[in-house]
Amino acid sequence: MSVLLGVAEIEVGYADIAVVRGVSLDVREGESVGVIGPNGAGKTTLFKAIAGMLGLRGGSVRYAGARIDGRRHYEIVRQGIVYVPAERELFPHMSVLENLELGAYPCYGARAERLKFVLDLFPRLRERRKQLAGTLSGGEQQMLAIGRGLMSRPRVLLLDEPSTGLAPFFVSEIYRKFAQLKSEGLTILLAEQQVPHALSFTDRAYVLENGRIRLSGNSRDLLGNAEIQRTYLGMG
Amino acid sequence: MLAILIDGIVQGLQLSLMAVGITLIFGLGGVLNLAHGQIAVIGGIATALLLAAGLHPLLASVLGVLSAGAFGLIMDRTILVPAYRYQGEERLLLGLLITLGLSFVVNGFLDVRYPTVALTLPLPTPSFTVGAITVRTASAAVAVIALAAFALLFAFLKGTLLGKVVRSIMQNEVGAGLCGINSGRIRTLIVALSAMMAGLAGVMQGLFSSLGTELGNEFTSFALIVAVIGGVRSVNGTLVAGVLLGIVNAYASYYVGAYLTLLILLVTAAGTILVRPQGLFAFRT
Repeated sequence: MSVLLGVAEIEVGYADIAVVRGVSLDVREGESVGVIGPNGAGKTTLFKAIAGMLGLRGGSVRYAGARIDGRRHYEIVRQGIVYVPAERELFPHMSVLENLELGAYPCYGARAERLKFVLDLFPRLRERRKQLAGTLSGGEQQMLAIGRGLMSRPRVLLLDEPSTGLAPFFVSEIYRKFAQLKSEGLTILLAEQQVPHALSFTDRAYVLENGRIRLSGNSRDLLGNAEIQRTYLGMG
Repeated sequence: MLAILIDGIVQGLQLSLMAVGITLIFGLGGVLNLAHGQIAVIGGIATALLLAAGLHPLLASVLGVLSAGAFGLIMDRTILVPAYRYQGEERLLLGLLITLGLSFVVNGFLDVRYPTVALTLPLPTPSFTVGAITVRTASAAVAVIALAAFALLFAFLKGTLLGKVVRSIMQNEVGAGLCGINSGRIRTLIVALSAMMAGLAGVMQGLFSSLGTELGNEFTSFALIVAVIGGVRSVNGTLVAGVLLGIVNAYASYYVGAYLTLLILLVTAAGTILVRPQGLFAFRT
């Protein structure tokens, strides 16, 4: 399959500190790709740069054949790349339904059909639909953030640490939903510290350390890699 | 006594109309607009000039309100652009300086150019009686217009997509961006809308009594106090605070005089910040 999202040699930083240093990665249509690595490795910075929320100092980001670096973040959303940050960034004083409705902003005419899709995917959100987003539990907020992201019918979902602060039960449930979305053809780029989950879900993965790609390959191979097992899985 | 109460409520509604603009611009744009009262005056003076040119009072008022809106739009797209390049505290401080400077310029320009222009909109029947109470027609008209404006504003914020987008930006600008919302464009719209509401309040002043070029600073300070007490991110809080302060203002002016009244209002505002920094009536935006 063809490359849908191509990141080439990008450099990103804040003030005089370079956080992402010459990272390249490819995501093919329909593929799930993981980015794993310790805290501070640059995963969030990399995602924000792809989503257009941070400017590049070098390199390029291509999507569906065209360069998208330099475009405004809201334009990138409208083109089909949706970023779901670890902080969720919900609208706390609005109901679950209103949060979802705003997620459909780029394709407002299709909101009823998208709402049905999202509420079928997360029945818990249907139960809570009248509740204010700020009063949901952490797991429910994460579902709402993902659901809001899905409302605009994205082609690529950038999921940043979706398991942060969640009980193990919720983590398993959310990964089951990711598998369902993947089977429906959604392209997913996933940053995760919970390496076993990330590697069992994704097709391929990149290991990011100190802003550079250290390793990459099939997720199954990486799961068996001695160095990965030692560093991230606490084995050996 | 009842007459003072009614006067207070009506003036409070007029204040709220200005203060809600300060609240919206701060909530959306992160700028505290110190030229907001001046925009109200611009709306009123434009109406007065159009009246003098022979226009029908209603048409002149509508065009006056629109010119206040146009002024707000231009302000947002020109002199505030440097402030919008920054975030948070830097934007707030730069915005304060820019709008303070603008208020000086507007005051000075109006004083020099139109020193004798004032807006008065006399109504055919000055008052009417309901039961035992005599009500000034102007008060009733202002109350009806202000309540209608607020009803429209709330219907817009709660019931329309654009209104929900406005609330979403006030609650979480990053989140709005993640939904594909261009918050800069929405902000321009809201600044223009807020300026129109200020212009409406300026025209109302002409209904009550008379609006002169010197009223800008007074409008700005009162509206700012109302916005702070109501909770500078809460639209409903601002409405309640405006009415409350209008009543306090009316009684205090009657009993202790205007100078002490302003002090009482300022102490109330300072007290609010100490006790409830989010505003006395800050519920949901």
